[in-house]
Amino acid sequence: MALTEQQPSRSLNLVVPSAPPSVKACCHTTTNGGAGPEAPAVALVGAPNTGKSTLFNALTGARVTMGNWPGTTVEVSRGVWKTTQSAASCTCEECTCDPGEKRLEITLIDLPGAYSLDPHSPDEALTRDLLVGGPVAERPDLCVVACDASRLANSLYMVSQLREQGISILVALTMLDVAAKRGTEIDIAALSQALGCPVVGIDPRRRAGLDALAGAVREALGEPAPAPRPVPATTDALERDDDRFGWIAAAVEAGTRAPDEQPRTWSDRVDRWVTAPVLGPLIFLAVMWAVFQITTAVAAPLQDLLDGLFAGPVSSGATWVLGAVGLDGTWVEGFVVNGLIAGVGMLLTFVPLMTLMFVLLALLEDSGYLARAAVVADRLMRSIGLPGRAFLPLIVGFGCNVPAISATRILPGARQRVLTALLVPFTSCTARLTVFVMLGSIFFGEYAGTAVFAMYVISIHLVVLAGLVLRRTLWRTMGTEPLIIDLPAYQVPTLRLTASVTWLRLKGFLQTASGIIVAAVAAVWLLQSIPVQAGQSFGAVPVEDSVYGVAAQAIAPVFAPAGFGSWETASTLAVGFVAKEAVISSWAQTYAVAEPDGGGPGALGTAVMNSFTESSGGHPIPAALAFMVFLLAYTPCVATVAAQWREIGPRWTLFGIGMQLVTAWVLAVAVFQVGRLFW
Amino acid sequence: MRTLLDKANLTHMYVGMDLASAPLHTSLTLLELAAPEDSRQRLASLGLRVGTRFSLLQKTAGGGRVALVGGSRIALGSALLRQLRAEVAR
Repeated sequence: MALTEQQPSRSLNLVVPSAPPSVKACCHTTTNGGAGPEAPAVALVGAPNTGKSTLFNALTGARVTMGNWPGTTVEVSRGVWKTTQSAASCTCEECTCDPGEKRLEITLIDLPGAYSLDPHSPDEALTRDLLVGGPVAERPDLCVVACDASRLANSLYMVSQLREQGISILVALTMLDVAAKRGTEIDIAALSQALGCPVVGIDPRRRAGLDALAGAVREALGEPAPAPRPVPATTDALERDDDRFGWIAAAVEAGTRAPDEQPRTWSDRVDRWVTAPVLGPLIFLAVMWAVFQITTAVAAPLQDLLDGLFAGPVSSGATWVLGAVGLDGTWVEGFVVNGLIAGVGMLLTFVPLMTLMFVLLALLEDSGYLARAAVVADRLMRSIGLPGRAFLPLIVGFGCNVPAISATRILPGARQRVLTALLVPFTSCTARLTVFVMLGSIFFGEYAGTAVFAMYVISIHLVVLAGLVLRRTLWRTMGTEPLIIDLPAYQVPTLRLTASVTWLRLKGFLQTASGIIVAAVAAVWLLQSIPVQAGQSFGAVPVEDSVYGVAAQAIAPVFAPAGFGSWETASTLAVGFVAKEAVISSWAQTYAVAEPDGGGPGALGTAVMNSFTESSGGHPIPAALAFMVFLLAYTPCVATVAAQWREIGPRWTLFGIGMQLVTAWVLAVAVFQVGRLFW
Repeated sequence: MRTLLDKANLTHMYVGMDLASAPLHTSLTLLELAAPEDSRQRLASLGLRVGTRFSLLQKTAGGGRVALVGGSRIALGSALLRQLRAEVAR
């Protein structure tokens, strides 16, 4: 490898962050290729907060697929890195290649962040397995290790372990600007020689040094793997560690020069307030409040606008077009307007909400605040066996469960992510609130506010209790690791990175959720359109005579012990799976069909009251309470399920649906059976 | 015998202090890591091992501390602090 073959000067080279040092690059080691099976595979590894994922985004752009690694819940991103090299930058002697030969597409794999090859979580275990666990032929062709120059010694532990394996590695040195501010000078060439592998200085946030990295990677891919670093013949872990730390210390000594006294940094001064015992939690709550407000209050008008657009002009336009071709009043119109347009419209109403959520997540992550939030909320969340970071998705869940599920990706461990994603649906979202308010006003009169407040209290208790139960059963092997967090330096978020990460996540959500949401909305329309009796036409059938209505009548007795075993109420729960707020419109639709005189909200309230009174045997208040509890705890809306499907996979999503249905039914029955003794 | 045991305990008490009672902004040397193996490995990979020089920068919410270790700022939880013993560096 070029850098190790060179005889670097022992004098220290100051590194200018905006102009990372270039390395010798050669274009003859590659051939034309696509990112197919024959494309070289380069793994991107490194500790959390070293800029690894930022680098991945910078190198791959939008050419990314994100998803769980097969058989695991660990998310791994894969992308195509199109490396190009201008003729001018080719430094190999007697270069004869034409521009067409200078392209190489590389499959870049962004592995979960890991401090070492000693796994402490499924994420780290996957990283280890992919790098050194499998047969040599299945390992990546090159491993690029992102190392933080401002805390170099800590970043090099994994490098020391990888160098013992005899695999091709390249060190990408990030955070050079932070190191420079702390007075640390880095000699790239000397460091490279000490580590025995190429080292490239980069700034992925500003996309500086990426061409040099591409050149070094192309060159490294053409070189054989270096011989493993000699290690002492011992099985004693302590001795091995001593050797590694000695090797790291020697490399740091050779490649860096730092002041004896670490200067107090801007980050230290901010941390004095942000993580302080009293002020820290207050700042944390203020940030969480801002996140909650932005994902609800700011997103709501945009959602309403899109909702109105699809329910109004788009649907009217489609109806007009279909009418013009003679299809008005037919099942085709129903399918297009109430199935397709309603489904797509519902999906798109989530776009502003999810965009805001992803922007906020990117800002919190990129700025470095998220690590501080984890510290501040740690003690509180630890009481239910979750790390501090789990606070964010659970808070966001009270606004909307869909972005909250996506927010679970801020958790460092896959098992923590799954557990939190299973708890989020127990948080009472604002869609459920609309139903609670309506039922509260119908059944509880002046105590409606108390009834709604009780739902929030129950919601918080459900999260805590479900968390404790899962922690003591399925998650009992998940250790209660003490808080150890490497705090990155604060940084001003960059627009490009925020936009890039937001777009990637939004794209991923839409790719996964679109099919499920549109299919579910269309399926409900279809079931409501198929008649079960002869003489009725498809698409023009009363709800109770449709497949949907008959199915609701069949399952209604299941809810009889909870006091709401009427088919009208059971059918709203099925609609509530599509969207919780649709429960009200479903009732309105059902009773409008059943009662020709019905219409206004007052009539709807009377109809709902009558239905509950009848189904509960004269105990409408406990039946309504039971229904509210059921609505709170049962299967979340289809968009939330789609988000879960994407984040934690089908197995855990189905487990969550089953768990919530059982929990909701048991609670609803308990509430009604106890409540009927008093009301 | 009792006196000997008391002496032994007293002697042990004087071997450093746990990090919860260690002073801030003072150069410390880590003497003992009585944490579980996973935590020891995690701390080691972050550069905090027996013999490492470091200092505590501040107290955090929840009773933890931020340690300055080789240029890194590492937040340590309150439960962990009692498992780490250090002495003022000489």
